[in-house]
Amino acid sequence: MTGKQKKKLMNAIQVTLILIAIFIMLVPILWIFLAAFKNHIDVFQLKLLFTPTLENFKSVFAPPYYLGRKLVNSTIVALVTVLIAIPAATTAAYAFSRFRMVGETAMLVTVLATQFVPAVVIILPFFVMFRDLGLLDTRLGLIIVNLAIVMPFAIWMIKGFIDGIPIDTEEAAMVDGSSRVQVIRNIVLPMAAPGLLTAGIFCFIISWNEFLFALILTNRDSVTLPIGLALFKAEEGDLWNLLSAAGIIIMVPMFILALIIRNYFVQGMTMGAVR
Amino acid sequence: MAEVRLKNITKRWDNFVAVDNQSLDIRDREFLVLLGPSGCGKTTTMRMIAGLEEPTDGEVWIGDNMVNDDLPKDRDVAMVFQNYGLYPHMSVFDNIAYPLKVRGTPKAETDARVKRAAEQVELTAFLDRKPRALSGGQRQRVALARAIVRTPKVFLMDEPLSNLDAKLRVSMRAELKHLSRELKITTIYVTHDQIEAMSLADRVAVMRDGVIQQLGTPDDIYNDPANMFVAGFIGSPAMNLIEGSIKDGQFVTADSTPLVAVGSRDRANVVLGIRADDIEIGDPGKGDLDVEIYSFENMGENTLLTAQLGQQRVIARGERHLRKEQGEVVSIWVNAAHTYLFDNETGIRIRGDDDA
Repeated sequence: MTGKQKKKLMNAIQVTLILIAIFIMLVPILWIFLAAFKNHIDVFQLKLLFTPTLENFKSVFAPPYYLGRKLVNSTIVALVTVLIAIPAATTAAYAFSRFRMVGETAMLVTVLATQFVPAVVIILPFFVMFRDLGLLDTRLGLIIVNLAIVMPFAIWMIKGFIDGIPIDTEEAAMVDGSSRVQVIRNIVLPMAAPGLLTAGIFCFIISWNEFLFALILTNRDSVTLPIGLALFKAEEGDLWNLLSAAGIIIMVPMFILALIIRNYFVQGMTMGAVR
Repeated sequence: MAEVRLKNITKRWDNFVAVDNQSLDIRDREFLVLLGPSGCGKTTTMRMIAGLEEPTDGEVWIGDNMVNDDLPKDRDVAMVFQNYGLYPHMSVFDNIAYPLKVRGTPKAETDARVKRAAEQVELTAFLDRKPRALSGGQRQRVALARAIVRTPKVFLMDEPLSNLDAKLRVSMRAELKHLSRELKITTIYVTHDQIEAMSLADRVAVMRDGVIQQLGTPDDIYNDPANMFVAGFIGSPAMNLIEGSIKDGQFVTADSTPLVAVGSRDRANVVLGIRADDIEIGDPGKGDLDVEIYSFENMGENTLLTAQLGQQRVIARGERHLRKEQGEVVSIWVNAAHTYLFDNETGIRIRGDDDA
């Protein structure tokens, strides 16, 4: 076999492996996508040709499922989490990035270490605490929990973006007549904007998909979408067509956000510093 | 318009002393260059004047105010950074306008002043562009324009030309000099490039290890260096520093070759400084000393001849049409009027008239 043929073969193997990987990842999504538009009987047949119906989407929003309420809960919890987390994390990240503090490294590691604790370990203390505080089954409770989950992540991520801003630029702004607050508002925030947006979307996705805490800490009023999926277990078995319709409602915003992140991520990389 | 005074300032980080108890008076409208090798404390000194670094000790005065506790924004200085420090998310216009904008200057006046500054640095055609769409030289001009758009008390320039390529550096240097003579504002300029220092400065402060070695006009530091460090740092090629001793009024090299009459008291462990331009080259036997050529370089506008002198080498400048080969023997003689003597241990200049 010549070198050229060898190279071709290797290429073919590579492409095949990639296709297999993509296939494995996409098939469940494709299955859900098809199932969501099938009626209850068609679901259990693997046929690709069927009469599509929007009936499933109607029923998940109707009683007894009320998916609409869960959608509202999920949206409010995730949005408020992001709206609090990003400004708070930005100030923390700026301090970690630009000021030398006593115990700085220890604090940074501690922030990260909170992520190492398995959720199941702390979920009972959380339950007891929230019960005493009257936060069980409230959106506020979920927002607090989600903040604890996303903040360390957001701080580290945003710190990375701020580290990437040349200190010269900030010093130039200070000599040019800006106060520290003006430096942050006029220079740091606009330059870190793609990073803040990316961090915000990641936090939104984490909150949106959070399952375990929502499962334990809610039961009726503030149930979120992932927990809502569990409703589609009936005595006659899993209602796959409804489950799939709800699944798509959960996934579609994620796909849109992923697309936005992709664009901003590239922009964030190419904007760069001017040297 | 203001003078800048440093009174016994020191900057220390833990055990590292960047600037060691230095005092310096910079006159109103003066162009002062802080010159020295990297790590000599020149940039730290400037950053303390800007307020970006806090002195460990001592006082910084701008005009009649002690500014130690003032934030950079309250010191009324403008600074040009080595990496320009441009705002990449703003257009060239907004970059230049920024110092006016944060001070709440009315829009009409801002427009007029930005236009004027842009004209002074020939950037008018690029006002709508973002910095990333500019060349290095153009970015440098934006940084300059941003500094001159106001009339600050003091200009601070931190190696502003060092990121430019060699050719551009020479033309920007001339523009900078022209601009500074036009603006007549006190300017402090940091560089490690002695040619920039010589060509731009009214006075030069040569620094080393956090200490100012000599403060003087370019003429002073070139023709009358205070010590061996200044002598060796200023000038291209570097001044020849030949080790030896003085016997019977003659400088004798370490290999016991008499070189030149110096008219100073006899002493051992002396260094003779002589610039390449002050060594004449002639045919063998004509001068004071016959030497073998170690290397011969044609620089275009003149020639450089390095000769082996016992254990040491000396470099002499020849006229542009001189042609020699490595290994040839030539005669050299030293212009006795332009020699400098230094103590080899302390590096301090031995003056002809002091009988130390």
